[in-house]
Amino acid sequence: MGFIRRRFQQWFEARLPLTDSMLLNQRNVYILPTKAGWMMVVTLLVLLVASINYQLNLGYLLTFLICGSVLVGMHIGHANLRKIAINIIAPQAYFTPATINFEVVLNNTDKTSKHGVGMSVFNKDGHAHWTWADVPALGSSTVQIADQPMPRGKHRLPTLTAETRFPMGTFRVWTVMRPAMHVWVYPAIEPNAPALPAGEPLCGDAKHVMTKATGEFDGIRAYRRGDPMKHIVWKKVAKTWASMDANDPSPCVNLISRDTQHAAAQELWLDFARTGCADAEASLSRLCAWVVQAESLGLVYGLRLPTSEIAPACGEAHLQQCLQALALY
Amino acid sequence: MTKFNNTLTNTFIYTLNHLPRDSRDTLFLLLVITTVVLPQVAHLPLWCSGLVAGVLVWRGMLAWQSKSLPSRWWLVSLLVVAVAATLATHKTILGRDAGVTLLVILLALKTLELRAQRDAFVVFFLGFFCMLSNFLFSQSLLTAFAMLVALMGLLTALVNAHMPVGKPPLMAAAKIAGKMALFGAPVMVVLFMLFPRLAPLWGMPGGPLQGKSGLSANMRVGTIANLVLDDSIAMRIKFEEKPPASKDVYLRGPVLSSFDGREWLPLKNSGEASHLKVSGQPVNYEVTLEPNNKPWLFALDAAVTAPALAGYELRMTPDLQWLANRPITELVRYKAQSHTRFSYGPEKQELSLQDYVDLPASYNPRTLQLAADIRRDARFAQADAATLAGEVMQKLRTGGYEYTLEPGEYGDNTADEFWFDRKAGFCEHIASAFVVLMRAMDVPARIVTGYQGGEFNAVDGYWVVRQSDAHAWAEVWQAGKQDGTTVGSWIRVDPTSAVAPQRIDSMQRLTAPSGVFGGAMASLWTSTLGGNGYNPLLQLRAVWEAVNNTWNQRVLNYTQAKQLNLLKNLGFSSPSWADLSYVLIAIIVAVSLLGIAWTTWDKRQHDPWLRLLASVRTRLAKAGLTSSASIPPRELARISVDHFGDSAQPLAAWLIQLEELRYRANTGNTDIAGMMSRLKSMAWPVK
Repeated sequence: MGFIRRRFQQWFEARLPLTDSMLLNQRNVYILPTKAGWMMVVTLLVLLVASINYQLNLGYLLTFLICGSVLVGMHIGHANLRKIAINIIAPQAYFTPATINFEVVLNNTDKTSKHGVGMSVFNKDGHAHWTWADVPALGSSTVQIADQPMPRGKHRLPTLTAETRFPMGTFRVWTVMRPAMHVWVYPAIEPNAPALPAGEPLCGDAKHVMTKATGEFDGIRAYRRGDPMKHIVWKKVAKTWASMDANDPSPCVNLISRDTQHAAAQELWLDFARTGCADAEASLSRLCAWVVQAESLGLVYGLRLPTSEIAPACGEAHLQQCLQALALY
Repeated sequence: MTKFNNTLTNTFIYTLNHLPRDSRDTLFLLLVITTVVLPQVAHLPLWCSGLVAGVLVWRGMLAWQSKSLPSRWWLVSLLVVAVAATLATHKTILGRDAGVTLLVILLALKTLELRAQRDAFVVFFLGFFCMLSNFLFSQSLLTAFAMLVALMGLLTALVNAHMPVGKPPLMAAAKIAGKMALFGAPVMVVLFMLFPRLAPLWGMPGGPLQGKSGLSANMRVGTIANLVLDDSIAMRIKFEEKPPASKDVYLRGPVLSSFDGREWLPLKNSGEASHLKVSGQPVNYEVTLEPNNKPWLFALDAAVTAPALAGYELRMTPDLQWLANRPITELVRYKAQSHTRFSYGPEKQELSLQDYVDLPASYNPRTLQLAADIRRDARFAQADAATLAGEVMQKLRTGGYEYTLEPGEYGDNTADEFWFDRKAGFCEHIASAFVVLMRAMDVPARIVTGYQGGEFNAVDGYWVVRQSDAHAWAEVWQAGKQDGTTVGSWIRVDPTSAVAPQRIDSMQRLTAPSGVFGGAMASLWTSTLGGNGYNPLLQLRAVWEAVNNTWNQRVLNYTQAKQLNLLKNLGFSSPSWADLSYVLIAIIVAVSLLGIAWTTWDKRQHDPWLRLLASVRTRLAKAGLTSSASIPPRELARISVDHFGDSAQPLAAWLIQLEELRYRANTGNTDIAGMMSRLKSMAWPVK
């Protein structure tokens, strides 16, 4: 039974379209009675039989009024989810083993407020962690979804479900949404990783003539994103700043960097083969730590994996590129 | 006082609103449970009411102080005690009363166990049952109103329990509950009118209706005294023509013919034929009879044909009383026809009449002596029953006899005491003494019980008969004339009318003090109005009873017969049980179709401009140019020209126009219809 149920859910999940925002309507909101709903049916039947057997016209009235209220409650419950637009906010990347957290915005396009809308990761079979929210009329509210830690890699966000049992708990009204968005999970950062390895001479290949680093620079040029801090000509910068309008909003462009042979000649390569770890995962962890460390030091670094190579550079985009490569390895 | 109350209420609401949510919700639920249980406190054993009150207050305190719930042992032990007490009180735990007692206790105890949501649901469902059990005791308008309030409370609590975020105000939940009930009401009305009324599916444990007074099958002197104090309504009568005079309204109940000295009982086997003959104009009327838990139907003397009452088998006893095949435990309504001029009974002196002159030996010696004295009088030696009855009536009228509600306790010789010692009593003393005297004179006589009189409610035109109108009168058998012009018959003699004519002729009643409040109100009215005869209280009562009667007629007495009538009015020639179901199903189907229609309408694009654009997109897609739903007209024009070449120019121009229609400021052009017709007549691009 459980197997059939699981298969059904898998099949059902697979045929859902991938989307990052969904407006709930008649077509994608489902409704079924809950256990309490079936209990309510039994209660109503008992009330009806009692009314018949004791010939209580007032009993009939009571039974039918509750019955009518439950029916109306069914519609209110269904309408409680309809006309809500679910939008997923792009999640940031995570290092294992953190839990995945992302935000979902519920936009109410209806003129009545929605009560007790719960969101959770789909297919949890009783382990679901629900986040409940009220959505005011024509307003929105944000819910946090957390999912269990995932292995490193690029993952699609888990399939989500929104549910409400409002107003009487007799019906479960729900919808299922399969986000198209991905979340990156990077390898764990090795705690207390060893210091960065020494830089390699540029063009260390045998094909090229090795030029010794002279320590002299060829001239100066404007600062470029990714230039190491130690290459900035601080004296020059100070002078420029002194002559500068205090209100100039972009002082960075005035930074002056040495254009050195030295920087070009020595490149920091973070090599998978040279991490000194036997284990591949441990290597990835160390590389991860190094990449982050190098980026925070403002160094130019490259990443070399057995399958791919990322040319030395620095900056946020480069960092992400390296981490993603590590995650996918 | 009101202001003080308001402040108190406000303070209470303020405190309630500032409690933690759990406490507030629990207190509210307890309040609702109290409203559910309160109306039936009168029908519950005292210990049960006490226990329930105790548990609810205890739970309320726990909620108020946000303390934890008692352990399960408490619950189990309380439950065991309650079941034992129920067994001790009702000797069973299965009967109706025992069931209600247990139900109420379970509801109260369950509040001590509100741990999971499942528990909350159990409380709600028990609450619904409890509300229904109220109707076993009373289905009055007041009960209905109280239960409506309680239902709204329960629904509010239920809705509130499903608003998990924050601490929503109870009013918000109440509004939604109100909406559910309001929109659910049409469902209720339709189901109520069309759901087939079935006979009881099986016999229910129940037993006699307690607390309902009425006539009883026997008459021990003194029992009717309680009835006189009972102002509740026994039946209502709607006369088709002018109602007869109050003094002619005799509604026949059991006939009591067997006397053992203390108690009058019906005769075991009175197999005589009734020989009922009627004359004169019939009176047509409709009786709405309150449940009396006896198989008795009351009709004016004398109803020849059976009252029209569906669902019961009726028969007439030789004593002219109409009986049903089972007790009347619900409000019933029947049409009847009576002739106030009638004769019935044995036509000649026959042996069976001997039963009606039997007197127990060694009772009432002085009455026997009185009878012998009268008989010794030359005038009455050969007198017939009517003459003798007239003589006794004369004695009652002139002998200083009094009508009283408090005659005191009678000894063994009730007739002797009435005739010679006390000379006071009410109808049953008088009737009993009269019949004993008649029998002592060898005149066949018997007691008839029933209701006599009543009053006309001018508000709704119903004749109202109360329990206080319960009465006992006498019948004597008058032999026919020797020449055969008349035959023997029972004739009615009401000895009470001789003692207290006002009891029979006018509506004047000896009033018993109606409780402290009633008494105070009455004296207040008398003092303020100077007793000018107009009593607003009576007026108010008339209006209230008229409203109540409408409730009885329309709601409580809505039977299968009425359902079928409704179908007849709808055009069914011979409606049946099945037709009801068809109409119900037809309505359900119609409503579902309406729902589907609404859904389709709701799903469609309502903006005509967007719809027009979408139709062009669909047509272009058929021609081979697919475009996204978010494309503006101008862009669509561009890509169609790209795709189709010059043949798309008219379409492109049209699309630009469409865009202008929507976005250009103050063009004043809102001619969607024009755009549509131009689209139709336009040359469509071809590749």
